[in-house]
Amino acid sequence: MSTCIELKQLQFKWPGAQLPLLSIPELTIARGERVLLRGASGSGKSTLLGLIAGIHTTGAGQVKVLGQDLAGLNQHRRDQLRANEIGYIFQQFNLLPYLSARANVTLACQFAPARRKRLSQQSIEQEAKQLLTRLGLTPEQQQQPSHQLSVGQQQRVAAARALLGSPALIIADEPTSALDQAHRDNFIQLLFEACDAQNTTLLFVTHDATLAPLFPRAIELSEINQGAVADV
Amino acid sequence: MFKLALASLWNRRGSVWLTVIAIAVSTLLLLGVERIRVQTQENFSNTISGTDLIVGARTGSTELLLSSVFHIGNLSNTLSWQSYEHLQSLPGVSWHIPMAMGDSVHGYPVIATTDALFENFKYGNKRPLSFAAGGAFAEQNEVTVAVLGAEVARERQLSVGSDLIVAHGTGEISFSQHDAHPFQVVGVLERTGTPIDRGVFIPLTAQGLVHGEYLPDSGAEEHSHDHEHEHENENVVTTEPPVYTLSAVLLGLENPALALRLQRTINTYRGEALSAIMPGLALQNFWRTLSLFERALVAISILVVITGLLGMLTTLLASLRERRREMAVLRSIGAGPITILGLLVVEAFVVTLVGVTLGTAGLYTVLLFGAELLQQQMGIQVSASVLTLREIYLLLAILVAATLLSLFPAWRAYRNALADGLTVKL
Repeated sequence: MSTCIELKQLQFKWPGAQLPLLSIPELTIARGERVLLRGASGSGKSTLLGLIAGIHTTGAGQVKVLGQDLAGLNQHRRDQLRANEIGYIFQQFNLLPYLSARANVTLACQFAPARRKRLSQQSIEQEAKQLLTRLGLTPEQQQQPSHQLSVGQQQRVAAARALLGSPALIIADEPTSALDQAHRDNFIQLLFEACDAQNTTLLFVTHDATLAPLFPRAIELSEINQGAVADV
Repeated sequence: MFKLALASLWNRRGSVWLTVIAIAVSTLLLLGVERIRVQTQENFSNTISGTDLIVGARTGSTELLLSSVFHIGNLSNTLSWQSYEHLQSLPGVSWHIPMAMGDSVHGYPVIATTDALFENFKYGNKRPLSFAAGGAFAEQNEVTVAVLGAEVARERQLSVGSDLIVAHGTGEISFSQHDAHPFQVVGVLERTGTPIDRGVFIPLTAQGLVHGEYLPDSGAEEHSHDHEHEHENENVVTTEPPVYTLSAVLLGLENPALALRLQRTINTYRGEALSAIMPGLALQNFWRTLSLFERALVAISILVVITGLLGMLTTLLASLRERRREMAVLRSIGAGPITILGLLVVEAFVVTLVGVTLGTAGLYTVLLFGAELLQQQMGIQVSASVLTLREIYLLLAILVAATLLSLFPAWRAYRNALADGLTVKL
């Protein structure tokens, strides 16, 4: 089984900071894994995600995604890799409020030629419709401007956008913290099903330890990170 | 990306519309000022053509030009009838129009002249004067007749056959009216778009009569009879001059190339101190003195455009803060920082393009429906002709300026996008 994410001797500190925020000797996540990464607020979770998504960079050889060393790619190549292979779900406000739910979903493919290619059997529009329907949005809701949808619906649209075109990796940054428990479990279930169907790796980040039993593998950030974490 | 920019703009259409309107209004102003400036200059240089020399008593060229062509101001010096006769006798003179000014009707200048004016005066592209109604002086038996410029006839609602009372002096209200001599309107000129439209033209003889310089038929005969005894040659048709003095004489030459030489001849005439000017040159010189105002006007309208664009810049910058979320979402789905930068530039371009288009449309609306009103109220002539190359350049300059300006907020957004990454610090 090939690896999806590989961290080796990762050192990262923000400019001006005395000590590194992140210092992770090693972490490997295989393809198709469903991993929960738990960490307290301010423990560097979002920074780590930014590094994996190729928004921030660090030294050579430290972060590899799908076998590619991110430090060896330029800005444009990293943006392309993210567009093509990484679906990103935010905690909240995932959608562009002025586009319809479906337009938000198809937007992801606008920047990602590889994703479009994988969808080539059907039109992007059709594929988005099917995916949204599977996630439980009626065709009427799909045409509504996204700011009219409930938070739970918005998160499902965000998931659909992340999943469309079968990227290799889904990064979910506290996607359930704005949802109540029933919606939360339902949402995670949907996410699992979709990831299984596409053999997509899921990196699920949360501060909420109660979610850990739902995942086959749970990582505690404080256990792998030896960096100077602000103890709050 | 274009569609995305449009959708984003549409989402914020409230404030975007205000920006568009600000740009439209400033475009309208800039184009309007430019148009008025160019067309005024055109009208200005179209006021007289075909006249080779203007001759008056020794005075400045601007003064002579203003009084003889624009009927503005009063010449304090006059040239004598003898000098006028001398001018006629100069070699190469093909026609001559005498002009005596100083009286007015309801504030319109009265120009005493001869029928030579209607035959020889030309304006614009060598266009002669023509009558909308009636005809010249000579076709009438009466002396106290008048021909009106188009504007005078329209504003005072006078037509052929109306009576007119000439007042002394040029004010609108005059205490010494020549009411003993009501004038009859015998002709109305076609509109020319020149000061001719605002003139009242009477024969020289009528002017003399009003001022008591000229005695009508019976008296004149007696008068000239006395003279005849003194003159040796009885065959010379020496009619008594209708007026003793003239304000200016317009001369047409057989060969315009000789104007310079004749100008010197006249300027050095020993009988009386005379000034001869070439109207084209004098007009140019005069326009140059006016160009300061013209430039000030253009500068003001450019400032207004800059204000409009700065307004757009402010709106764009202010919106960046609320849109950091939007930028982060775009980044997360793989939009590069360059895309973010491009998005803002496209946005500014679209806003300006719509504004400029609306402004231009507004200008034509104003010109189509308001040109008549402008002409009547302010005497400004503008026509709804197609955009000139210069105007197109101005519009392009606005677009380019807006696009360049938008690089600043776009750069900020780019920097934000890089710094924020996917986590927005609000």
